[in-house]
Amino acid sequence: MSTATPSPEPAMLPDPNSKRRRGGRYSWWAPYVFIGPFVILFLVFTVYPLLYSVIMAMQYNDGPKSAAFVGLTNFKRVLSDPVFWRAMKNTFLFAAASIFIKLPCSLGLALLLNREDIRARGFWRLIFFSPVLVGLAFVAVLFSLIFEKNTGLLNVMLESGTQWLNGYLPFIGVWDIEFPWLQEWVLTAIIIASFWMYVGFNMVYFLAALQSVSKELLEAAEVDGAGPWHRFLNVTVPAILPVGMFVVLLSFLGSMQLFELPYLLLGPGGGPQGRGLTVVMYLYENGFNAGNLGYASAVGWILAVILFGFAMVQKFLAGKDDI
Amino acid sequence: MGPTFRPFDILSLGGWIILALALVSSIAVAVWPVSKVEGLEYWTFSKNHGLLYQQLSVDYNAKAEAEGREPLNVFVIEFAALTRRTLSGFWSGTPVADLVEVERRTMPGFVKGPLKDVGFVDLTDRLHSEELTPGVSIYDSINAPSFGPWTSRGRIFGMPHDVHPVMLVYRADIVEAAGIDVNDIETWDDFERIMGPLQTDLDGDGTIDRWLLDNWYINTDNLESLILQAGGGTFDIDDKLLVDSDANAMVLARMVSWCIGDSRISVDAPNFSASGNQLKIEGNVVAAVMPDWLAGVWQRDLPQLSGKVKLMPLPAWERGGRRTTVQGGTMLGIPKSTLEGSAKGSPERFEAAWDVAKHLYLSRELAEEIFTSNCIISPVKAFWGEDFYKTPSPYFMNQQIGTAYLGLAPDVPFRSSNTYHTFALIRIAQAMAELYSQAVAEGIDTLPGLEERARKLLAIEADLVRDEMSHNVFLQRDKLKEEKAASERLEGATR
Repeated sequence: MSTATPSPEPAMLPDPNSKRRRGGRYSWWAPYVFIGPFVILFLVFTVYPLLYSVIMAMQYNDGPKSAAFVGLTNFKRVLSDPVFWRAMKNTFLFAAASIFIKLPCSLGLALLLNREDIRARGFWRLIFFSPVLVGLAFVAVLFSLIFEKNTGLLNVMLESGTQWLNGYLPFIGVWDIEFPWLQEWVLTAIIIASFWMYVGFNMVYFLAALQSVSKELLEAAEVDGAGPWHRFLNVTVPAILPVGMFVVLLSFLGSMQLFELPYLLLGPGGGPQGRGLTVVMYLYENGFNAGNLGYASAVGWILAVILFGFAMVQKFLAGKDDI
Repeated sequence: MGPTFRPFDILSLGGWIILALALVSSIAVAVWPVSKVEGLEYWTFSKNHGLLYQQLSVDYNAKAEAEGREPLNVFVIEFAALTRRTLSGFWSGTPVADLVEVERRTMPGFVKGPLKDVGFVDLTDRLHSEELTPGVSIYDSINAPSFGPWTSRGRIFGMPHDVHPVMLVYRADIVEAAGIDVNDIETWDDFERIMGPLQTDLDGDGTIDRWLLDNWYINTDNLESLILQAGGGTFDIDDKLLVDSDANAMVLARMVSWCIGDSRISVDAPNFSASGNQLKIEGNVVAAVMPDWLAGVWQRDLPQLSGKVKLMPLPAWERGGRRTTVQGGTMLGIPKSTLEGSAKGSPERFEAAWDVAKHLYLSRELAEEIFTSNCIISPVKAFWGEDFYKTPSPYFMNQQIGTAYLGLAPDVPFRSSNTYHTFALIRIAQAMAELYSQAVAEGIDTLPGLEERARKLLAIEADLVRDEMSHNVFLQRDKLKEEKAASERLEGATR
């Protein structure tokens, strides 16, 4: 005699046509009520401004009360303005530095602080992550003091250091205490400040990704005779690649929207000859200081197209499923 | 028996909680008492101004209460926030104060567009028709150049707070110890020649560390002041573009020559910065351009220099030339929403605001207070003979600095409030930065060479300003209208 195991009861899925669902506990309008507030806010504060900015991009404004339709003139003017291209060049250089200098350093830090033989790993992780907890305005003030001529920490340290070195190696010149970081080395200064702030932040992404690297695979590779470099290249990198691509995308988008740090460090024009001017600063200046919101809208749409294009290229390069 | 009401069939427990929270918070927001300002609202960006006005408003409010008028409430709002809130108010109708103080640099943004769209009430007729003293209108009682920054297309949109003439402050302890008599200095050439020996290596490391002048090629405030002193600027009184003027080219060349090579006399010791202040205290700077307001700042920020510095008229660009210039400025404007077009606006409210403006800006009490606390001289000429201006200042080695600044006040140059002023000034500053870079890169160190290059760079920047203006649809329309009207007049005359 066989004992038949009673089959489990079918799952109690609600019948979409039942009265209970339509008029009872699962009222048809309930989801709409719940998403309603979001949809209303989204329409009012995102969709409407977005659509309106398309109209504005085709207007000339002399202050927002005076607007005249000018067709695509704003787009033509933006694309032929050397100041826009200077801002674009600065922004791309900053983005390149973020991706090719900051991210490898973040990965290096993550690899280092992922090692089990490092003492007080948690403490060091906190130390490297903590700058991101500091407000951008504070960071700008801090670095404006660090980069000052004559009394700035960086120049003073470099002068003292090179003076000491000069005592032993006379061919090394002494650092100029008046070195103008915020006048002639503006972009470098911004990259240094941003590096300090975000290197630990990106490290956290890589640290999280490194947790998912299979220890078995690493051990198997080691048994097969793979050295540390080959294990990193052939096991670790493929495992953290999706996160890496995501961090690259985030860094690029963040760099393209760079505003507060250079604005606070250098002022509205981005320093002498616009050496630190970014695209968003250019947009802000035209829209809110010069009062030409139409022109600023055109800049915004050009920036949006660039960002969208980059995201698409990256999606294509990384493969569809990775992002 | 009918169906029973079961609330949990309509929404889940969580749904009811969310709904309840939404209702409670909405009701709380609706009934929460919002503190409402009774009376007139006054916004200023300056803490010092705010404190003074709060003191002065005590009398005004006592009198207003007795007469059944609205009291005055003074609020100090951070500079950028005040500018942004006021502009937003003008642009979108959000509430703004009844009286707003505006700083010189932001004024061009407030007078953009057609005159009818300017957010401040046009005070021109009032200033001309009302008298401060019998037979003298308010307009005529105030130093004429002080109206410049607040005037657009011939209309005045605010009451000037100050004159801000500029002098040269110098380390009298160092200069006098070297036996130099500053009365021998009339021009910038004299300044370089006579003060030259003071430029030395203080610590013996082989590099100069005491410089003659606090100035640098990125100092836009000094740039504007010095081009104005030379007769240049951005626009003249008729809104003619001056960007590529000879005066501007000369000043740019000179300012750059002060920063490079053997002709260097400048050091970058910015005000309001730790490094700048340290350089001044330690004697690395012999002289600096000093508007009256900066004299007050130094007294507060650099007490170590008390009894060590003196003021002298600014060296001129040529013999017999202007010995002063102007830097900074503030006005008091009355937004149109005080007069009409808002829930609170009414002619009566405007009159009350106008009374406050006169009570504060035209009062002898304020003139004395702003001078004694901030060294700022009043633009009201009737007070210029007051004794408080003659008080010796211990900080400036007992000089009568009030009298000294007042002596120069009538000579301060005209300043434009053209809506493209800021844009044009930025272009001039960019030309100077470019000139510096090219001079360093190509080794241009003679004044004629620098001046020739400055002319070329300024011509490029002037074209950029013209190009920017040519895209202003409204400006072009106005021009066409003017041209049409002129041709019609001509046609009429020919007939």
